[in-house]
Amino acid sequence: MKRRDLLAGTAAVLAMPALAQNKPDKLVYVGDNGPWHWAMVEEVAPEFEKQTGIKIDFTLLPVDPWRARLKTELNSGSSGIDIVQFSVGMAGWISPHFDDHEEFAAKIMARDPEWDWNDFLAGSKKAATYDGRTIGIPYRITTGIMHYQKYLLDQAGITRLPETFEELRQAAIALNHPPERYGFGLNGRQGAAMYSSFSPWLYSAGGDAVDFKTGEILINHPEAVAALEFWSGFVTKDKIVPPEAMTWDFEEIVAGGQSDRYAIVETFAPYGTLINDPKLSKSGGKWIWDTVPGKTEKSQSKTWVDGHSLGIPKYTKNKDWSLEFIRLACSKQYMRRSMIRGNAPPRGSVLRDPEMVRSIGWTEVAAKAIETGVPTPADPVFQALEVSLRSGLSQTLIGEKTPKQALDGVADDWRRIMRRAANLR
Amino acid sequence: MGGTTTTAVQAGLTAAKPARPARAAIRGRWLDRQFITFAVMPTTLLMLCVFGLPLVFSGFLSFQGWAPELGLFDGKFVGTANYEDLLTDPDFIGSVRLTLIYTVVTVSAELICGLGIALLLNIDLPYIAIFRTFLIVPMMITPVVAAFCWKLLLDPDHGVINYWIGEHIVWLGRPDTALFAVALVNVWQNAPYVSILLLAGLRSLPHEPVEAARIDGASTWQMFRHITLPLLRPYILVALLLRTIFEFRAFDNIYVLTSGGPANATMTLSQFTYLCSFVRFDLSLGAAASWLMLLMSMLLCLVFMSTVRRRDAS
Amino acid sequence: MAALNYVGSRRSKLLFASSVYAALIALTFAFLFPLLWIIGLSLKTRLQVFANPPLFVWWPTWENYAAVFGRADFLQAFINSLLVSSGAVSLSLLVGVPAAYAFARFPFFGRNFLFFGLLAMRMLPPIAVLVPMYVLFSKIGLTTTRSSVILAYSTFSLPLVVWIMRGFFEDLPRELEESAWVDGASRYQTFFYVVLPLIRPGLVAASILCLQLAWNDFLFAAVLTNNATRTLPVLMAAFSGGDTGVDWGGMTASGVLVILPVIVFSFLAQRHLVAGLSSGAVKG
Repeated sequence: MKRRDLLAGTAAVLAMPALAQNKPDKLVYVGDNGPWHWAMVEEVAPEFEKQTGIKIDFTLLPVDPWRARLKTELNSGSSGIDIVQFSVGMAGWISPHFDDHEEFAAKIMARDPEWDWNDFLAGSKKAATYDGRTIGIPYRITTGIMHYQKYLLDQAGITRLPETFEELRQAAIALNHPPERYGFGLNGRQGAAMYSSFSPWLYSAGGDAVDFKTGEILINHPEAVAALEFWSGFVTKDKIVPPEAMTWDFEEIVAGGQSDRYAIVETFAPYGTLINDPKLSKSGGKWIWDTVPGKTEKSQSKTWVDGHSLGIPKYTKNKDWSLEFIRLACSKQYMRRSMIRGNAPPRGSVLRDPEMVRSIGWTEVAAKAIETGVPTPADPVFQALEVSLRSGLSQTLIGEKTPKQALDGVADDWRRIMRRAANLR
Repeated sequence: MGGTTTTAVQAGLTAAKPARPARAAIRGRWLDRQFITFAVMPTTLLMLCVFGLPLVFSGFLSFQGWAPELGLFDGKFVGTANYEDLLTDPDFIGSVRLTLIYTVVTVSAELICGLGIALLLNIDLPYIAIFRTFLIVPMMITPVVAAFCWKLLLDPDHGVINYWIGEHIVWLGRPDTALFAVALVNVWQNAPYVSILLLAGLRSLPHEPVEAARIDGASTWQMFRHITLPLLRPYILVALLLRTIFEFRAFDNIYVLTSGGPANATMTLSQFTYLCSFVRFDLSLGAAASWLMLLMSMLLCLVFMSTVRRRDAS
Repeated sequence: MAALNYVGSRRSKLLFASSVYAALIALTFAFLFPLLWIIGLSLKTRLQVFANPPLFVWWPTWENYAAVFGRADFLQAFINSLLVSSGAVSLSLLVGVPAAYAFARFPFFGRNFLFFGLLAMRMLPPIAVLVPMYVLFSKIGLTTTRSSVILAYSTFSLPLVVWIMRGFFEDLPRELEESAWVDGASRYQTFFYVVLPLIRPGLVAASILCLQLAWNDFLFAAVLTNNATRTLPVLMAAFSGGDTGVDWGGMTASGVLVILPVIVFSFLAQRHLVAGLSSGAVKG
């Protein structure tokens, strides 16, 4: 970190005399235990402690206990958490506990214009919004993009990256070389990763899950069915997916890429680093990236966007100090550091930085995808809907049901779930 | 053995007999009568507070309509709506059926395996005890660790199982093989427990009937079927009961291996309840499902015990 | 004792013995292989873990254990696990053994109700009480402490303790206590000085089973502790990081370190374990 920035930071802190009175000795941060926290834990927190004398007490839990803890503590109005890390899908039920973070962002800007709130990608800000209110500062933004093994495309004489569904299908078929390497990889396990594997096709085909404003269920409309026919066709009709992909959740799809089991895949942008690293991957160094194809033309390309934001709950007594920590953690220099250490930060300047593009590779594509991406729906009922969708998708991949049958079944189940939600509120 | 007990008793008595004045004696007698209370009270309190309260709260939740944005006590009363929703949900009914079938199959497998192992360990050969020591290990391993290990063993590409079989079976990717794999892991982990129970039973069996039968010229199989098995019945029944309770609500292994898939093939009640409470975050539905699980479990045990009692009586 | 001994020629006896040993060796291999495989995985690098065909012979690496021990929080988690487990075992025994004695010896008001309640506790899926328990603890300010975990574990091992110890107590001949009472000893004195020393094997058995329950639990510890008070299984879960993949080497290394103490302990005390499991069981 440059000395100039350090001085600027210290000056900013010293410019807050009013805070010095009720300074806590620690701030409690509750988040999940993903390994992308390195920069925050090992660099930002010590720097923050050096500048302010306040320790950061990190509580990093696996996904389910993390959500359970946040729900119970925030619902009881406890002041025990100072900084909340929440994911996009949680925004719906967590929003009542947060004030408008546009004001917080403005506060930071007033003190530190270099911080540049406009540098944050529009898609990431959308992901930290619920019901028209910004409720957090985005820290990590993930999106689904295409990963291609370039030399295989060259070998097959494919000069232009696929822009439509059909082009992608043809490319995958051409690159299919069983049993060593298959054409296409996807998440086939009935689990949390399935949505990220299917939804780009849903959105790029012009489909959607639910119109939350009207409550209309769209998951079994023709666009969605077409998307599922396309995606499941890789497994059931063309058979160009590795058979073990039926057990693939998040980490297995990475392992599959590292074992060179497929030539093309749509998955998390940050996985590109893991799959392309020659130290970890057999196929290291061979990958290039692009946004997902559209159904009939590239402009229809739309993918999912997810990630984590940092928020200050209403009940904490240390709002200003929490804000200070967030300012530091989300500053340009520390977000750049976090990128090097495994994060995918939502800043345009970082993602489009030529050095980042050169060394990491997928960042520019990710930035493009995030601009138009669809954030995971934050309506609280979506969690239940997504679980129900998983079984329908799984049944299609196994071949138990046709796409239309499966999605009709999912729609029926969704009707029950939404009726239940409406009755109980 | 009698000698040591009497000495022990005497030693205990000498330690236990201080002199006492009159008022202390009266207080002492009252204290004495309260012994049962003092002995049982901590258990009751602990049970009621740390277990009973959450259980009652869970029951309370199951009659509420609770949405994730509300405070925990702010749901509105909806009567049996949650239970109705469950009982009309085809996924829940499917889960119940699957859990019952799964329980029966795994418990039977555990009993058969356990009995076989116990019979082997009961044989009077040198160093047999060493085998018993080793065979206990699976039940001591943290279930989550064991499940992760099996996941790697069953991996289609890098797994040892496929390597030995020579076929590329995607164990956890097809409904039938996934269910089999999940059952296999549970049986692997729990058959040793059954074998220990039954081994103790075999050890405690009287020798006379066996000797008599052998003198009468009965074959090994006949002795086993008509003497050993009936004498072993109480132990088998206890093993059956305990294992049924556990397999009915088994969670860790299935969660790690398949978390309910593929296509709901391993979606037992415990997985279903977990998804309700922790992923869908529909706590009232999860509470209702848990209560239904508890009631079903109790019903199973009651049916079981009354059948046994009826057969004993007849 | 050995129901399958039989009279036969020396040769057929030898044949019989060797087939029994062969069967037992095969069974032991089948049951122990996964454990050996975990240990093997902990000594492999990531690339070796995913080698295809699987590696049976390789040069072991200590990097995973080094990584695990190098974590500052590993020692802390280990200590936490020790504290929590011993606390849970002590509390369960302290509370459960006298109750088991009462169950075995004295018919008292509410006995059947209490016993049924304990049985119900065994049948309930733990996830059902997880969130309500968390709420309860947060109301009394115990969340993130080790005490909350100790209380939770005690609740789950209590039925086990009562179940097993009751069997042991019932096995004791009444005459010993009766002669003590006749001699003027109080109930308490009889219990402490006469009865307790005689059921020590049962105490050992119950302790091992409670220890295993407390040491191996993951879900409750994950929700009820924070980074400072978390136990080993929770730390282990940190190696499987959400949407960035599983660190197999770190996970298996920490997995081995988690299961080793319990296995060693049960090796040492397995005789008592067998006695304990069987005695309590039948009378149940």
